[in-house]
Amino acid sequence: MTDTSNHVSDNTVVIEIDGREIKVEKGSMIIAAADREGIKIPRFCYHKKLSIAANCRMCMVDVEKAPKPLPACATPVMDGMKVYTQSKRAIDAQRNVMEFLLINHPLDCPICDQGGECELQDVSMGYGRDVSRYVDSKRVVEDENLGSLIATDMTRCILCTRCVRFLNEIAGTDELGGIGRGDRTNISTAVGKAVASEMSGNVIDLCPVGALTNKPFRYKARAWELMATAAISMHDGVGSNLYYHTRNGRILRTVPQDNDALNEAWLSDRDRYAIHGLNHEADRITQPMVKENGQWHEISWEEALGKLVNQIKKYDGDDIALYTSNYATTEEYLLLKQLFDQLGSKQHEHRINITDFSDADRLPRVDVPLERVNQAQKIVLVGGYIRHEQPILNHKIRQAWLAGAEVSSFGPQAFDQNYDLLHDFTGTQVNWVKQLASLAKCVADIKQRYPEGALGEWVKAQKTDEDINHLAKQLLKDGVQGLFVVGQISQAHPQANMIKAITAWLAQATGGQVNELSAGANASGAHLAGLHATGDIKQNEHRLNLVYQAELSDFADQAAIKNTLTNSDFTVVFNAFCDVNMKSRADLILPIALLPECTGSMVNNYGHRQTSTVAHKSPGDTKPGWRVLRVLGNLLELDHFDYQDINEVMAITEKFQGHQPVIKQDCEVHELVVKGLALFARQGIYDGDPLCRRSQPLQDSPLATSDAVYVNPKDLLSIGFAAGDLVSVEQNGRYAELTLAVTDEVPEGSAVVNLGRHSTAMLNATELNVAIIGVQS
Amino acid sequence: MMYQVNPQHDDKSLAMELLSDETRSHIDQWLAKYPHDQRRSALIGALHAAQDQNGGWLSEPIMQAVAQYLEIPSVWAYEAANFYSMFFTEPVGRHKVAICTNISCMLRGADQVVKYAEQKLGIQLGQTTADGRITLVKEEECVAACVGAPMMIIDGHYHENLTEEKIDKLLGGLS
Repeated sequence: MTDTSNHVSDNTVVIEIDGREIKVEKGSMIIAAADREGIKIPRFCYHKKLSIAANCRMCMVDVEKAPKPLPACATPVMDGMKVYTQSKRAIDAQRNVMEFLLINHPLDCPICDQGGECELQDVSMGYGRDVSRYVDSKRVVEDENLGSLIATDMTRCILCTRCVRFLNEIAGTDELGGIGRGDRTNISTAVGKAVASEMSGNVIDLCPVGALTNKPFRYKARAWELMATAAISMHDGVGSNLYYHTRNGRILRTVPQDNDALNEAWLSDRDRYAIHGLNHEADRITQPMVKENGQWHEISWEEALGKLVNQIKKYDGDDIALYTSNYATTEEYLLLKQLFDQLGSKQHEHRINITDFSDADRLPRVDVPLERVNQAQKIVLVGGYIRHEQPILNHKIRQAWLAGAEVSSFGPQAFDQNYDLLHDFTGTQVNWVKQLASLAKCVADIKQRYPEGALGEWVKAQKTDEDINHLAKQLLKDGVQGLFVVGQISQAHPQANMIKAITAWLAQATGGQVNELSAGANASGAHLAGLHATGDIKQNEHRLNLVYQAELSDFADQAAIKNTLTNSDFTVVFNAFCDVNMKSRADLILPIALLPECTGSMVNNYGHRQTSTVAHKSPGDTKPGWRVLRVLGNLLELDHFDYQDINEVMAITEKFQGHQPVIKQDCEVHELVVKGLALFARQGIYDGDPLCRRSQPLQDSPLATSDAVYVNPKDLLSIGFAAGDLVSVEQNGRYAELTLAVTDEVPEGSAVVNLGRHSTAMLNATELNVAIIGVQS
Repeated sequence: MMYQVNPQHDDKSLAMELLSDETRSHIDQWLAKYPHDQRRSALIGALHAAQDQNGGWLSEPIMQAVAQYLEIPSVWAYEAANFYSMFFTEPVGRHKVAICTNISCMLRGADQVVKYAEQKLGIQLGQTTADGRITLVKEEECVAACVGAPMMIIDGHYHENLTEEKIDKLLGGLS
């Protein structure tokens, strides 16, 4: 008792597992302590990120003084506890459980997709009997169609309920449940419900057997034939860490790579299934192509680059423009910047998805690192459907909500969220910004301090109401810092700078913090490389256009960019894909690799620089973009293009320093006036980049968008059409043919269309005035 | 944390359409007994009310309506309805006859009781007579009436020390 060598702080206890002394936190479970020490305890239902079910009984261990074996996952540690995982009692218990689990499990490993990476198979190798003593008939469970992403073989299910718990706790969608009881229980959906979570694919990784498997990957390969390549996702600003599983240079599937600062153990469906777009052959470019007399011809790289060099030499400086999206690597951005600097052109822009060019490009403001968002206590979403923009960030916001945070939202639609909203202020694209301004007014009225300048006057002029005042008071409560999350709807809004300035003022006035979301995976890399211009360069006249890893569907103002490209002399497309719309406006197409096919670095929304390596062999004569740019630089006899390999370029981009962006709290006010319906061109979850748009499994899933225009039911009468009618959305004499749909989620006076689809290619997101009229063709 | 009650759609149209005023006020009484974040606890009472309203069984739409009314995921209503033997997810006859076959009753000849009832009614356990009069409940767990074994429950009422004559009288008396 007087021995102090064992003294530990109040929060920890000392236990012994298999004779090893371990210090562990009070209240933690035996299995967590064992895992940390690398002591293997078999388990099926336990998962470190899910609640404890203790229903598989596989993790039985022998605890000294306990009258019977105890489940390690549900037994809290106690000071001085002695645990044996290999004693006869423990092993016997585990063997017995194994025998029961295998009673109803089919012996179909040779035709099971999980074979070779199956937890049940592995554990039965260690604990199972070589011959089954069970002679009665086995249970058979009917399969369900869970959609295009998850394949089911429910007869193999061992009822661990990890999938049920994941959908309840993490995804928040509760689609699966245990139906029936005893040995007749089966995991099933409620009839008429599909699994429609943006994170649904994680149940595949969680499933310890072959009951839930990856549908597009089904029967494609065995686990032992696959090579894993560590990489990063290019589909959102998180840059989730993942492994591509490849065979013979082809990516066959994607699985998450644990990173507690970013995606934890999860992967969004977009990050998991977008790779199936890589093999979309219809408009994949595999050979350089040139248009002559209206006909496309395949040519060699030498000829293609020769033609490009000739074109570039014809024009000077600002006659040449560059448009690039936000999912190329920083190395490509750097070389493009070097090219344009030496050509003397400042007409280079990565902000092709925004509509407000009144302020200079800057890095997104991030006050709270991603891994700490779950600690926020008050969250205000400012123009963002975070669930679709950054599913992983949304997961952290949900974690915060589960821990008691209050979440409110301002935006153009009452989006379906997986947390409750304290207030959901929705209005047309014009009105919700005014509601945000009236929050600023309420705060200012209480604090007796107003924003400065024209913006301050505009804020003062707004009407307030009780709900907004309530939120203002909540935000001003002492001791709790608010977090404002400025989403991509704000970034793409025609008043983006006003929204950001008001939010910055609000944060300062309420002592809160701000996280701004950037579009794409590498907007920060493009900014750091310097690929931004002053004002909207589409409005300037150019003779030669370079469109680098961007499709028309990536532009906010598709009608405008089509005009710009048509009116110039020559357009060169650097991309892996080229759709019909782009082809009709291009003159030269150079096939370059997308991220899973090339090496490079990206800087995510939160300032993490991450690198990714080649996982997939590019088809045909596709080249990595940085190589093409290097050769182009050499052919033009420019300086600093003599890199031997990508590492030399990465040595430069590695030194790019992120910096605190300059945050403005005042800006010019430009009022938006809408006479008809106010357009909200939203970016669907699977419409944001070329791979998602071409991934059939994603496009067949419930979250895929459709060619529809959504209005509030109350507006139907004045529109004069019924839901389901084919209508035209008219915008300044241009028409998009869409199906009229009705939903309460859309505020009155609003017309919501899906950006990034061919059906809306005639619309500009900037121009909010639209009308719904009869079909024009 | 046992489970999380996630946000549900605030659409209650199905609940309003399928659940009668009486059923809803009955459910309201159950809801009043529990905190809002533990409203799942009202589920069993609510399903009983819905089953009584619906002629003794729970159709899929009515389970969905109950879930909608309680603002819980519909799969929870399915789980509960499929778990407990007192809920019926297929149409049933006007009277439910459940014969206990647990150990005490079994030792006192429950198998013979089942056989006799099946022969008499011309149906198997789990089936309903063609005239829609009687459903023989497929399975009934011990209801703690072992002292009077063998026993059966007819529409919630216990009948003990069964003999063939007694069964004749009981089943014959059902209209």
